[in-house]
Amino acid sequence: MSVLSVRNLALSIGGTPILHDVDLSVEAGEILGVVGESGSGKSLTALSIMQLLPRSAKWAGEIEVAGNSIGAMNEKALCKMRGRDVAMIFQEPMTALNPVHTIGHQIAETILIHNECSRAQASERAAALMHRVGLDPKKISPDRYPHELSGGQRQRVAIAMAIALRPKLLIADEPTTALDVTTQAQILDLLRNLVKQDRMGMIFITHDLAVISNLADKIAVMRHGEVVEAGPTDTVFREMRHDYTRALFSASAHVPKREAHINADGEPVLAVDEVVREYARPRKSLFQASRPFRAVDSVTLKIRPGENVGLVGESGCGKSTLARAILALDRLQGGKILLNGRVFSQAGAGPDMRQRAGVQVVFQDPYGSFNPRHTVRRLVAEPLYLIENAPAGAEREAKITRALEEVGLQASDADKYIHEFSGGQRQRIAIARALIIEPSLIVLDEAVSALDVSIRAQILDLLASLSTRLGVSYLFISHDLSVVRSITDRVMVMREGRIVEEGTTEEVFLAPKHAYTKMLIAATPVLKAPAEA
Amino acid sequence: MSGHSQQETGFIRAALGHPAFLAGLLLTALFVAAALVSFVWTPFDPEKMQIAAKLKGPSTEHWFGTDHFGRDVFSMLMVGARVSIAVAFVAVGIGIGFGVPLGLYAAANRNSLIDEIVMRGNDLIFAFPSLLLAILITAVFGPGAINAIIAIGIFNIPVFARLSRGAALSLWTREFILAARVAGKGAARISVEHILPNLMNLLIVQGTIQFSLAVLAEAGLAYVGLGAQPPTPSWGRMLAEAQTFISLAPHMALFPGLAIVLTVLGLNLLGDGLRDLHDPRIRRSRG
Repeated sequence: MSVLSVRNLALSIGGTPILHDVDLSVEAGEILGVVGESGSGKSLTALSIMQLLPRSAKWAGEIEVAGNSIGAMNEKALCKMRGRDVAMIFQEPMTALNPVHTIGHQIAETILIHNECSRAQASERAAALMHRVGLDPKKISPDRYPHELSGGQRQRVAIAMAIALRPKLLIADEPTTALDVTTQAQILDLLRNLVKQDRMGMIFITHDLAVISNLADKIAVMRHGEVVEAGPTDTVFREMRHDYTRALFSASAHVPKREAHINADGEPVLAVDEVVREYARPRKSLFQASRPFRAVDSVTLKIRPGENVGLVGESGCGKSTLARAILALDRLQGGKILLNGRVFSQAGAGPDMRQRAGVQVVFQDPYGSFNPRHTVRRLVAEPLYLIENAPAGAEREAKITRALEEVGLQASDADKYIHEFSGGQRQRIAIARALIIEPSLIVLDEAVSALDVSIRAQILDLLASLSTRLGVSYLFISHDLSVVRSITDRVMVMREGRIVEEGTTEEVFLAPKHAYTKMLIAATPVLKAPAEA
Repeated sequence: MSGHSQQETGFIRAALGHPAFLAGLLLTALFVAAALVSFVWTPFDPEKMQIAAKLKGPSTEHWFGTDHFGRDVFSMLMVGARVSIAVAFVAVGIGIGFGVPLGLYAAANRNSLIDEIVMRGNDLIFAFPSLLLAILITAVFGPGAINAIIAIGIFNIPVFARLSRGAALSLWTREFILAARVAGKGAARISVEHILPNLMNLLIVQGTIQFSLAVLAEAGLAYVGLGAQPPTPSWGRMLAEAQTFISLAPHMALFPGLAIVLTVLGLNLLGDGLRDLHDPRIRRSRG
């Protein structure tokens, strides 16, 4: 008997149709991968199964969980079904846990809600569950609070809560998207084993084809609220009958066309010399200051004109701190940073504002990078402030128009507000803002990480063509190795504040020397190229 | 630029589609108009006593009746609106004028000595009962509307300083502020260009709340005799005097009370509406 069968599911929220004709089924012990970009309806399909829909939602069709029709259940029966028959894991392990309760308490609570047992028994079972998800209760006490754990450990706690009642179906909504690659690999292993041991069915929702290709038994590709292609993983990847599947696949493996145009003899656009960044740690005793935390530890690097350099590393390795130091947003505790051969900032002195125009930045979050109250004209023109005798009037308009057209937008977009644009368009505006004063270096801090694969491919193409056309250098900071590989000439691997390996991109990826680099590359899920028919 | 006038017509159209805003605007306009008209015309001289006609109920001659000295309540309310609105306006102005810059300055220099001094100074004012300060000021300078304004104004400073510091602190960590710093802008410029516009809806809402609290505070101070001095009419003192005659002439308390309630209501509706209309995201989605 299948643990889940969804037939002809249709959903509308407030009169807007969201899903239609969604058919899915999951057998015990089977992993169904649901793939799609944002807005494809994959999360709302999961919420329909859980019946956690917003009030204005109306659904039709047939959803059966372990043979019971959900449409026939009242709220009380649904509460019983959630947690006992179907459990869910979310993307963000921090917000999925209650910060004011200990992890042991939270796992035990799930057991207590559905089972009649004493608190002591529940705690005992919670400890056993922690063991199962790879958290040794001897090392990680159940009395800890969520903020005392790492992201991966928190996700393990969330998984322990989800499997506490041995549900028949586990829905995992992007459970590894917020995690580092090595942690992601561990969590995927854990989920795979749990499914096998408990003979659960699992729906794994993701935007990442590489992750799903190595995990799922069968997959369903969703777009615009419908399943466009479904079938066993191998078959789908081999045949790719639907255009969208093919587009998704090629976007995921997209390598932008670019030609290296490095000026090896020129003055380096960026030279980072023995840079140290330290943070004060809270005092442990009144009389003795704590030793500061060294986030960036004597880093030295150079970027030549026109060169695209990647900086990879897992969260907490200091790559963003280094980026902030390069942008002179924070003071240095040691070393100095040169732009185009001139000192931009050094320990013990503030940044030299005259050099500021040499470097600009594009941040990760396309939603938080803009002041929502300014028009695009004002947003894009902001860095013009750096130029002495900033252009005014028609000249200024011309610059704004050129920057917008350079990134594939129109001059008329200047009058709009930022909320009128999609995530990909916003990232284009961020690039336009960085380009307008023609810097020699643009720092791209996870600039494509928040974007859907097809949009990501477009932005990568744009970045590649801008680099070729304008000769601008990039410092491309990312945790995503495949993206870094596709767009950089040279790559640096950072760990615990130090650069542990450096070399041309192909060298590092094909023949990594440092053990940590090898581990990173091994943990990165690889999208298998479809076998040629 | 043509884009600008388009923006303005969009604002007016959105305002017309916002009933709460219109109601608030109407009520506030009514009281402001009454205060303004009172400079040139009132039905009766609000200070003229007619003992023979005391404690009369509403009639065609005295619309809102007369008080215990036979003064016309309607005329007194009109003149009283002047005091109430002036006190509230100036007091909130003092609060915003001093509090917001202090808060923004403290946020721009977070965790510095300056920040500590500014915020602990605010705590000091907060810890001090407002009535006590009003009595203190009155004891030194004598009672009067101006001193009531100063006392209420001082108490508005920490409210706005804290509000703007707290909100500014979280804005300082946002990426668009980082982008502005990368564009070479200094703390003062970022505070004015980026932080302040994003505080607007908070300030408007808090401003209208403080505005109505100031109307109430003035009424309270006048009630205990620390506000505008007789014979200048004041809503608070009218209420205080009406207390004695509450069973004989309830209209004496009813009309000043209604005036206070409706002014506060109007200001709050106006504030909510302004907040919505000020936000480009809400404005567009409504239009």
